[in-house]
Amino acid sequence: MNSFWIHIIHQAIFGGIAAAGFGILFNCPPRIILYCISSGAMALAIRTACQLANLNLPESAFFAALAVATAERLLQRFQQTRGSIVALVGCIPMVPGSMAAKGLTNLFALLQAHPGEEIAAATNGMRNLLEVTLTLAAIGTALAIPQSIYPEKEASVKTKTLP
Amino acid sequence: MSSETKDSRLHSGAPAACGPPLSDVARFSLSIGRLFMEFGESARMIHEEILAMAHCLGCDSAEVYCQHAAIIVTLRRGQEFCVQMGKVGEHGVNLRGSEVVKNIVRRVSEGDLACSVGQAQLDNIQRAIPSYPVWLVCLCTGLACSAFGRLLGADWLSFFPVLVASGVGQWIRRALLVRKRNPFITTGIVSFVSAYLAGFGSRLLGSSHLEIATVSAVLLLVPGVPVLNVQTDVIEGKPNLAAARGLRVMYILLFMTLGLVAAQRLILQGI
Repeated sequence: MNSFWIHIIHQAIFGGIAAAGFGILFNCPPRIILYCISSGAMALAIRTACQLANLNLPESAFFAALAVATAERLLQRFQQTRGSIVALVGCIPMVPGSMAAKGLTNLFALLQAHPGEEIAAATNGMRNLLEVTLTLAAIGTALAIPQSIYPEKEASVKTKTLP
Repeated sequence: MSSETKDSRLHSGAPAACGPPLSDVARFSLSIGRLFMEFGESARMIHEEILAMAHCLGCDSAEVYCQHAAIIVTLRRGQEFCVQMGKVGEHGVNLRGSEVVKNIVRRVSEGDLACSVGQAQLDNIQRAIPSYPVWLVCLCTGLACSAFGRLLGADWLSFFPVLVASGVGQWIRRALLVRKRNPFITTGIVSFVSAYLAGFGSRLLGSSHLEIATVSAVLLLVPGVPVLNVQTDVIEGKPNLAAARGLRVMYILLFMTLGLVAAQRLILQGI
């Protein structure tokens, strides 16, 4: 097995663990924790593969979130829970929290920068925060697409009563 | 206001000709909206659930106005008209809580449960929501942060310190939030303690990725679900609610970073 697959498997395993951990933190129903693990693993595997194919972080996160949200929608009839809990929890490991912290840290560093270093500190900070914003926008948009174009399969109260 | 308001002209063939008093339906709607907001649901979901429920209880039209700190509901049934406003408490994420609320709403809508009984159940919902033991939540949070560390490229030596530090951080966060402490101050304290413990432990074990270890340990504080709700609210045309949620997210990230930077100053000194 070459390093490409080893890296993808590594990311998928720890993405699954992170999703499961956050699933428990968010008081996710126990019966869908396994779905959360699969969803997190799938998201991280696809994101890593896209990044290895030279896509940037927002693009990679978009395709990963879209794949997870679509898969969740297609498998909806096998679940009891409405909504997109599984896709949401699966995408949580892709939220670039560390990059947001890094961006803000760089902006703090700007306050103590020596003359000549200000531009580098400001540029790094803004670049990180821009990447965070674009990645979040990409994930949010990708999660919304399948819900908007693919109708709910479950016959809920509203689908029975509302026109 | 128009962008945040969902108006539903429901069909005249409503199932219940004379349902429960309109003020009771409005109060029930407010309780549903408040709990959904507090459990981290998006505004679209709240609108849909309240509109469907109001229709099933015989309302001709329903309007819901969701804001970060309050919800306004307007219901019409024949010549009757009722407007009620309710406050929303601290926002969090509780997926099983949402499920319990959805279940009560479904049973009231289908007529299996009286509106007054449903209201009583919502008033006492905290007792009805199943939850995981605190130790399990702390352990799993620690495990998630350690996994984040690996995803960010930290070595194995920092895995256990991050796990312990994040677990302790989650325990402190829960203890402070249960005592109704300010969520932003709580975030700062938890961030500092978690980052310091993770960095200190990793340093003791000889890890060479102290910076990644400190960052990983505070990722339990990143408000992932609210961030994604901001996106959903923006996309679905609710900019005011999204702006309020976004501002809160920004402040949480700011306090998280302040705690992290303070801890990194102590840990990374002299390296």
